[in-house]
Amino acid sequence: MKTHTKECVGQALSNAFSRRRFLKAMAASGALACLPGALLRPLTAEAGIVYEGDYQTFRNACPRNCYDTCSIKSYVKDGVLQFIEGAQESTYTRGGLCVKGYAYTRRPYEPTRVKYPMEQQGRGSGNWKRLSWDEAMDKIARKVLEMQEKDGNLLGLGMTKYSGNFGITNYVVEGMMSSLGYTTRFTGTPCWPAGIDAQNYDLGNMWCNDPEDFPDARYVILWGVNPAWCSVHSMKYIYAARDRGAKIVAIDPVMTQTAAKADEYWQVKTSADGALALGMARHILDQGLVDRDWVDNNSVGFEEFASYLRNNVTVDWAAELSGVPAERIKAVAEEFATAKPATIWIGYGMQRHVNGGATVRAVDALVAMTGNVGKVGGGARYGHLQTWGFNYHAMLQKQPEGAKGVPGKTEVKGDFHFTGDQGEVSYSDRILNINKTAQEILDAQDPPVRMLWVSCKNPFSQDFDRNKMQKAFDKLEMVVTVDNFFNQTVEQSDIVLPVTTLFEEWTINASYWHYWLSINEQAIKPMYEAKSNIEIAAALSKKMNELSPGSCTFPTEVDTKEWMVKEFNQNIYDQFGLESWEDLREGPRKMKLASSASWSTLEFGTPSKKYEFKSELCAEHGHKALPEWKEPREPNAKLRLLTPHTKFAIHSQFNNIDWMQEFNPRPYVYLNPQTASERGIDDGDTVRVFNDLGEVTIQAKLTSILPADTIMMYEAWFHANPYNCQNLVDDTAADMGSYKTGQPGVAIHDQFADVARV
Amino acid sequence: MTKQYAFFVDAKRCIGCFTCAMACKNQYHQEPGVHWRQVYPLNEEIYPHRERAFYSLACNHCENPTCANVCPVKAYYKREEDGVVVHEQDKCIGCGNCIRSCPYGAPRYNPVLKKAEKCSFCYQRLDAGLKPACVQSCPVEALQIVDLAEFDNPNAVQYPAGFPRFTKLNPSVRFILPEQPRMVTRSDV
Repeated sequence: MKTHTKECVGQALSNAFSRRRFLKAMAASGALACLPGALLRPLTAEAGIVYEGDYQTFRNACPRNCYDTCSIKSYVKDGVLQFIEGAQESTYTRGGLCVKGYAYTRRPYEPTRVKYPMEQQGRGSGNWKRLSWDEAMDKIARKVLEMQEKDGNLLGLGMTKYSGNFGITNYVVEGMMSSLGYTTRFTGTPCWPAGIDAQNYDLGNMWCNDPEDFPDARYVILWGVNPAWCSVHSMKYIYAARDRGAKIVAIDPVMTQTAAKADEYWQVKTSADGALALGMARHILDQGLVDRDWVDNNSVGFEEFASYLRNNVTVDWAAELSGVPAERIKAVAEEFATAKPATIWIGYGMQRHVNGGATVRAVDALVAMTGNVGKVGGGARYGHLQTWGFNYHAMLQKQPEGAKGVPGKTEVKGDFHFTGDQGEVSYSDRILNINKTAQEILDAQDPPVRMLWVSCKNPFSQDFDRNKMQKAFDKLEMVVTVDNFFNQTVEQSDIVLPVTTLFEEWTINASYWHYWLSINEQAIKPMYEAKSNIEIAAALSKKMNELSPGSCTFPTEVDTKEWMVKEFNQNIYDQFGLESWEDLREGPRKMKLASSASWSTLEFGTPSKKYEFKSELCAEHGHKALPEWKEPREPNAKLRLLTPHTKFAIHSQFNNIDWMQEFNPRPYVYLNPQTASERGIDDGDTVRVFNDLGEVTIQAKLTSILPADTIMMYEAWFHANPYNCQNLVDDTAADMGSYKTGQPGVAIHDQFADVARV
Repeated sequence: MTKQYAFFVDAKRCIGCFTCAMACKNQYHQEPGVHWRQVYPLNEEIYPHRERAFYSLACNHCENPTCANVCPVKAYYKREEDGVVVHEQDKCIGCGNCIRSCPYGAPRYNPVLKKAEKCSFCYQRLDAGLKPACVQSCPVEALQIVDLAEFDNPNAVQYPAGFPRFTKLNPSVRFILPEQPRMVTRSDV
C-alpha cells in the first residue's frame, strides 16, 4: 500500500482539505468506480461537529473470540459508518464497548485493508498482483479439480479455521468444504479444551453462572483470569460484589491489571496452581469446613478425594510448590470456605499447561467441597455453550455424488461442533490436530496436504512453532487465505481473498460467557470488492460447476440475510422469548434463565448424575480418577516465557489498525529488573529472546509485575512488523481436551526461553 | 456556585483499558497523532507497579482557562450554562498560543488543518441529552461527569501526585487515588 494513498484515505475520512488529493489519488489508481460515493464526503474532526441524531442505526455484534461478545449499535450517514457504541439494551454491555471495539469504526476504511482478490508472485515476496474474482476463482477451482484428478479424492485440500470470526454464518467455511467433497480438516482448539474436559468429568458439562450474578457472591477468586483486559464488562459486576462486602482475590503468575484491582493478589508459580488448590482443599478438610450436606447429597468419590489429600497433600507442600506462603493459603482457604456463596472464575490461561486439565479439576473440587456449585453467586465459572443451539445450516452441506474420502466413519468433534450424528456413511473427512498444524502438514501422506484454505484464522501468528510452520507451508502447492488484512499468513499465501467486516454482512453472535444474543445487520455496503464467506463459497461453487458440472453442491446464488435467518429455530426463539429474529433488530436479548446459577437443580451431566470428585470416565480416558497433583513440564531454558493477551488486541487482530497503533505502537518483552540486571539489560534496550525453536529481537521493558524467573511478551500482530511470539512457543500438548474437542489442548504457557542484550 | 461540569476520574476503579481514548477517536476521527483524551500510566514513584494505575485525561474545562485568555482571535469561549470550554475551530488561526500555554496539554495541533483543537466535553451530545462519548464508554464507571456545584465526595482530590497544580486555572477535574492489593509475592525467587 503506498503511503500517500494511506494518508489520503485517512484524511478523506476527516477533512475537506485532503479530499481533492484523495480523489486525485483514487482516480489515478482507477479505484474511484468501486468506492461508495458517500465515502468521499468529508467528515470534520473539528469540535464544531453537530450531533444531529439523524443517523441510520444498525445492530451489530462483535464477532471476536472474547468473553464479552458485545452488542453494538452503529450510526451510519450517507452510507458511511460514522461512529458506534455499545447497545444500551444489554445490561451486560451497558452502552459501552472496549478499546478494540471502538476501533471498529476504522476497520472497514483502514487503508491497509485487503481490497481485491490478489495473487502473490512468490510467497513472502510482497509482489502482489490484483485479480478479478473470476480469475481468482478460476485458479482455485482448477487446482481443486487437478487434485481430484490426481488423487481420486479431495483429501489433498486442507481447511484451517478457528475463531477469527465467530459469526454463526461463518460455519459456511466448513460447509463449503463439504460441498466440494471429503477434505482434510484441522480440528480441536488451542483455547480452552483441557478445562472443558475437566469440567465435563467433574460436572458433566461446561456450564457457568450468569456473570451478572457476581454481585451476589460473598467471596470471589479470580484464578488465572484477567477480566480487566479480556472481559472488561465483567469488572463492574466484580466491583459490585466488593461494594456489597465480598473479598476479591486474584491468583496469577503475573500481577495483571485485574490483580492490581483485587483486595489480595497471589503471585503463584506458573503451573503450580493445582498444588495451591489441593493445599487449600486439605486445609478446608482439616478445619472441618467441608459442606458435608452438599457433598453427601450431591457428589460421589469425596471420601477417596479426602484420603488422597490426607495422604499426599499438605499446606506446606503446596506453599513450597506454589511460592505462596502457608499462612496465606490457610487464611484464604478458611475465608473462602466460610463465605457463602463463594465463587471462582477459572481462566483459560491456567489450563494451557501439561497439567492444565488436572489443575481445573482441583479448582472445581474446591468449589464443590464448599457447597458452592449450583448456587446463585457461586460456581466454578469457566464458560458455557447454552446459547449456541443454532441450525448450523451453513455448515451442513452435502458432498457431491460419488465423492470419496477416508473410508468409514470418523467422528468429528470440536468445541463448537454441533452437527450431531450423521448416521452411517461410507467416507469421512481426514481429521488432523489444529494444535499441531505444522507437524500434521509435514506428516500427512496419501495424499499429502496439497492445498490449504485459511479462513477466520492466522496460523503464522497464532499457531505454534513458526519456523516449523514455514517448513510446512513450503510443502503446500497452493495456499488461499481469506482475510481483512495482509497479515503474516497472507504474506505466506499465494492468493488472498478480501472478506467483509462485521458491518458488511448479516450474521448472529452468541457468547460463551454471558447469556445475551445479538444479530449483526449489514450496516454498510461491502467496501471495495469484499465478499462474505457465504458469498465466497457461492462464487467458488459457480466456477466449479462451470468447469465441471456437479463438482460442488453449494448454491451459486446467495443472500447473507437469508442465510442468517436460516440459522434460527423455535428452540432459540423459546430460549430468548422471541417471536421472530426481527425482534433482535430492537436490540440484543437475554436468555430466559430459570436461575442465574448453572446446575441449580443439582442434576449433573455425569454418569452418576452427581458431582464426581472421582470420575471413572476420566480414568478410562487415561487420566487419574481423582483431581490429583500432576507434575508440570520440565524447563528447557532458564526463564519461563509467558505469551498472554494484550489489552490492545485479541490474538492477531486490532494491533495493525492505525487507530490502535497510536496507543500501542510496538511490542515489548517484559522483564523483572533483577533478571535484566543479571544480563546487563537496561529499560528500553533491544534484546534477543531465544530458545531451541527460534528467537525474537525486541525492546525490553523492566517491570516488577513479573517474578525474576519469568519473562513475558504479548501475542500480537503489528502491521509491517516481523514480531511474532510463536517463534518461541512449541506445540507441546496439554493433558486434556480430546474427550470433548477431539484433540488435546496445547501447553502455551509451559514454554521457556532466555534473553540477552543484542 | 454556578453549574460547572467536570470529569471525575476514579483511578481506584480505572483499569487503564484505553476504551475512553478510543471512544473519543471513534466519535471524532482525529488526525493521526492527535488525541483529545489520553490515558497516562502513573510512574512508579506514584504507583509502585508499572502500567497498573492510570489517569485518563482530556481538557479540564478550567474555571479560568488559559487557552481562552491567550487566544488572539477569541476562538475560545466558556459556556455559561455548564462551564464547558469550547474551541471554535473556524475562528482559529493556528497561532499555537493555547497549545503552548495550557499546562495540561489539552489543545492539540491539527497538522492538516494547521489549527488547534481539543476535547469539547461532547457538548453537542450533552445538549442532546447524552453523555460524553468517553464517559458513556467506560466499562467500569471510572470516568464520570459531575457538576462541581453539587459534587461532594470526601475522598476526591483535585491535584493528585503527578497532576500539575495550577490553582489559578482551577481545573474542573476530580480524582480518586488508585489503591494497591495486599501483595503476596513468591517466596521462592
